[in-house]
Amino acid sequence: MSSSTSNLPDGGSGGIRAGSYYGNGIPYLPIDGYPGKIIAIEGTDGVGRSTQIRLLREWLEVQGYGVIETGWTRSELMQPTIELAKASNTLNKLTFVLLYATDFADRLEKEIIPALKAGFIVLSDRYIFTAMARAGVRGVDRTWMRNLYGFAIAPHLVFYLKIDEKTLIRRVLQSRGMDYWESGMDMKLGDDIYESFRAYQRSLLREYTSMADEFGFRVLDARRKIDVIQDELRRQIGAFLAESDTTSALRVDEPALTRP
Amino acid sequence: MTEWNSSALVKAATKTGKKKNSLTPMTFSLLHATDFADRLLYNVIPPLKAGMIVLADRYAYTAFARDAARGVDRRWVRELYSFAVKPDLAVYFRVPIEVSTDRLLARRVKLKFYEAGMDMGWSTNAIESFKVFQGKVLDEYDRLVEEFGLSVVNAVGSITEQQRMFRKVVSQHLQIEETDEQLDEQLA
Repeated sequence: MSSSTSNLPDGGSGGIRAGSYYGNGIPYLPIDGYPGKIIAIEGTDGVGRSTQIRLLREWLEVQGYGVIETGWTRSELMQPTIELAKASNTLNKLTFVLLYATDFADRLEKEIIPALKAGFIVLSDRYIFTAMARAGVRGVDRTWMRNLYGFAIAPHLVFYLKIDEKTLIRRVLQSRGMDYWESGMDMKLGDDIYESFRAYQRSLLREYTSMADEFGFRVLDARRKIDVIQDELRRQIGAFLAESDTTSALRVDEPALTRP
Repeated sequence: MTEWNSSALVKAATKTGKKKNSLTPMTFSLLHATDFADRLLYNVIPPLKAGMIVLADRYAYTAFARDAARGVDRRWVRELYSFAVKPDLAVYFRVPIEVSTDRLLARRVKLKFYEAGMDMGWSTNAIESFKVFQGKVLDEYDRLVEEFGLSVVNAVGSITEQQRMFRKVVSQHLQIEETDEQLDEQLA
């Protein structure tokens, strides 16, 4: 329906500075010069994102950084609606994508941007890339998706916890089992949930991989032990923060542990 | 026939957001786009495929005007709605700001928070806020008329006059003939 033929930037973080909007952004919310940082941990279900984030948070807070966490579908506004829509299977791919985008916008404006302004580190349990991967495998136009998320802020660091299909299947079965959405059953790939899960997760993994260069993912092997991955995350985040500490004062004067 | 903001799916979230006055211009915009997508796929595209005429009480243009008036990026909203079917005919009922304010006040119902644009904080007085907001919305519509070639119906006149004009525009488009007598009979 657009009357203009102009091309928006394709959202690639290649040319996009970390901490600025991917596209035209939110005109009424200029974010230039905000001292906070966004660190996103991406990866499919069952790769251990939440464990890693919990450990990172402790580590960062002990060093005196202010930290907030934000995660997919956790917005106050949208969580009930998304749950409802999932339960009733009334979502088609377009409304699915738009509900997620609304959830993200709510968290961006109410949690992420204020935290950046206040100099916090935002640990994001998945960012926009999960939405892009899921939409991608469902055949939603990639350019449209990138324009849609033109209001998102390019994170300072994106870690992609990469796993192979076989390991993932074993992990999911050992923990909570396969569910309808994680198995992509809405895509009608077949009645067999195991086969559907496999086919769906395989295409998801392919989508993530195809975004790695475009958005500058730092890829970590998620098959390793929790503490090995955590050490690697800390090493890379530590180096990044040491570099930015010289330019902006992120850290509070006293370590968090000694504060009342 | 499809109406703005009426899909069951999005109603809950819109209601929560409106009740708590917690919608931002971006979430307001995205929720309405979700509603639109839902209705497009369930209520608009199927009748079009069946060769029927779909009368849409507001379309994406409402979002273009309102979201831009709230400070959302114009290009972004247009791209957002690029999944929409381009209407065969789009008619804009134009009134000056004074007329729309008077009509609204004549309804003697309280202006709603978002309807009056009070989320923007331009004025704590609902009527003042509405005037500022509506002024911006009308400016946006003027852009849209040119950009998307909307047919304009002067909505200052009586309902009969407006309906006559409206039917003329639609008849020309559908290449059907209709006489004024038919209309006068129906409106009598």
